[in-house]
Amino acid sequence: MMLAVIWLLPLAGAVLLWALGPQLRERSGIFGTAVVLASFVLTLTLWNAASEPGGVHVPLFSWIPGFTLGLWLDPLSLLWTLIITGVGGLIHFYSIGYMAGDRAVARFFAYMNFFVFAMLTLVLSDNFLGLLVGWGLVGLASYFLIGFWFDRPSAVAAARKAFVINVVGDVGLMFAIFVLFANTGSLAYADVFAKAAELAPGIVLVACVAIFIGCAAKSAQVPLHTWLPDAMEGPTPVSALIHAATMVTAGVYLIARCAPLWDNSAPARELVGVIGGVTALAGAILGLAQWDIKRVLAYSTMSQIGYMIMGVGVGAYEAGVLHFFTHAFFKAQLFLAAGLVIHALHDEQDIRKMGGLRTRMPFAFVAMLLGTLSICGVPLFAGFYSKDAVIYGELLDGHPWLYGIGVLTAGITAYYMFRMLFVAFFGGDRSEPAHGAGEGGEHGAPAWIMRAPVAVLMIGTVAAGYLDIGGDNSIWSRFLAPDFVGANLLRGGGPRVSDLVSSAIVLVAVLIGFAIAYVRYGSKAALADAPARLARESSTVPPVLVRGFFVDDLIGALIVRPAQALGTAFGRFVDPLVIDGAVRDTALLAGVLGLFTRALQTGLVRGYAIVIVVGVACALAYYAFAGVVR
Amino acid sequence: MLTRRNPLIVLMAIELMWNAANLAMLAFARAWLNNAGHVFAFLVITVAAAEAAIGLAIVLATFRRARNVDVDEVASMRG
Repeated sequence: MMLAVIWLLPLAGAVLLWALGPQLRERSGIFGTAVVLASFVLTLTLWNAASEPGGVHVPLFSWIPGFTLGLWLDPLSLLWTLIITGVGGLIHFYSIGYMAGDRAVARFFAYMNFFVFAMLTLVLSDNFLGLLVGWGLVGLASYFLIGFWFDRPSAVAAARKAFVINVVGDVGLMFAIFVLFANTGSLAYADVFAKAAELAPGIVLVACVAIFIGCAAKSAQVPLHTWLPDAMEGPTPVSALIHAATMVTAGVYLIARCAPLWDNSAPARELVGVIGGVTALAGAILGLAQWDIKRVLAYSTMSQIGYMIMGVGVGAYEAGVLHFFTHAFFKAQLFLAAGLVIHALHDEQDIRKMGGLRTRMPFAFVAMLLGTLSICGVPLFAGFYSKDAVIYGELLDGHPWLYGIGVLTAGITAYYMFRMLFVAFFGGDRSEPAHGAGEGGEHGAPAWIMRAPVAVLMIGTVAAGYLDIGGDNSIWSRFLAPDFVGANLLRGGGPRVSDLVSSAIVLVAVLIGFAIAYVRYGSKAALADAPARLARESSTVPPVLVRGFFVDDLIGALIVRPAQALGTAFGRFVDPLVIDGAVRDTALLAGVLGLFTRALQTGLVRGYAIVIVVGVACALAYYAFAGVVR
Repeated sequence: MLTRRNPLIVLMAIELMWNAANLAMLAFARAWLNNAGHVFAFLVITVAAAEAAIGLAIVLATFRRARNVDVDEVASMRG
């Protein structure tokens, strides 16, 4: 019952904020935050119950006889619920400061609460149907929030793009559910997974691939990733909550949840691992050429989710999920720190126009630095434990190529993250807003409101990875063990390299990346002529990076433009000729008939009378003769 | 009725036809000892009264509009 309360609280918050927004005004932020944090606290009370075998299972109602919809809290969904409500609550809190002064604060918090509800629906459902509902609702919430500033055409376009691509994924997921239902006769996770081993390999493969289409769209995997960088049009807290910490990791959740399916299909695991690797590398490479602070973070998110997908794809579930966990902290922190900067610089997001913020915004600098160290996988920071576990998992599962990609991506990550840090925070200020930036309260809200959540996240950014110390006996492994009992974790067969050596290799790559970034952007010589150098560099970025490997152009050429051409053709030929033609020809037929029949309407009363007389005479004659014949 | 152009005469002709029909029905009722004929006659008288009222109203309305009641001249319904 408590679980249902946890699930419905954010919905109630959204409805109340929606209805009472004008009355609540400035207090709507506090209300929205309180609702989410209440869910978080209630979830904590269920911790022990969720860790027991079977978790907490609450059947809600029977929709159609045989289809019981319910909620299920086990370690995996507990983890996601805690991050959604915990990190989500912090981001709500931060938004009180960030959104202060916006004319639609209540609407913002209503959407945010609605998103939390949708995300909880997704992770708490005990069956594929509820999952699909949540899957669709988070896409809708994402659409609302990306397009929150709907008077910006670019935001509206980005929201539409995100929604359309997500629907492609929804269709894939729906298809997978059809396949699973047709072959197992149930939609409940427990029933489907119990029968997973008996299904034909082809069926499992089809289901896995279809599920993965859903995951790829939601989690911004190649080639359905193009909406994520554009989604940065939304307010920065939205980017932190939806497009970094929670929604985009739904794909990781689903694959981890469906581990019994993946364990029965080696080709599907290969596919997911390879796509994850490609995404990790592609995201990192595209991050090299970005000047917008949020787009750098967006591509790094894409790259990090690639790691997670790569991890869960090859069966390193614990590592992949751990990377989700640590990523939720450090990426939310990076985004919120970026939000501090953007806020102080009056919506300036171009790092070329920043510079020198280290001295003027020391708090934001420390937050950004900790996040960067964590994402790069510097030892003792959270990212180190999770990322190295994922990369090492590739090796354990016998994928040296994916291991290579993981190491290479780690190096590139270090390069572009420190590039951003050096350009934005070091050297002299390069624009008027950067010169005037400070850490005082902006837009009327006290500064601590935005700093406190970042400070809390710092704890996770540094320490979240310590849970994994101790190998198979770590707190982390024991926590997740009930979910992956019997799961075919890693097949072995890789080269025998210890994880320490692996970590050392990754660290070397990170150091090389850092060194290049330092020489190019961080050293005294580089900082001295930074303005000229940055201007020169902006003009020489290869178009292949600026345009994101031309994926948008490719999708445009292969799908969007043919669809538009088809629509135009239908509009020009089929609609006027066939559809309108049918309507118009019907009218024409009636008109032509009328030409003949109107001649009968002479208007002469005596003529009509004659017709009646003749008609009656005919009728009488007929009956008279009929009588005779009979 | 068919040869007259004055609507009042036409209406009178129609009344005559009603009466003829009534007479026939009464005669048949008497001949076959079936009272349904009497009932029908009363019905016809009622309907005839209503018809005469409507017919005269139409004639009056037509006259007010066109100052003319010739049934051949009133032909604005011609298709």
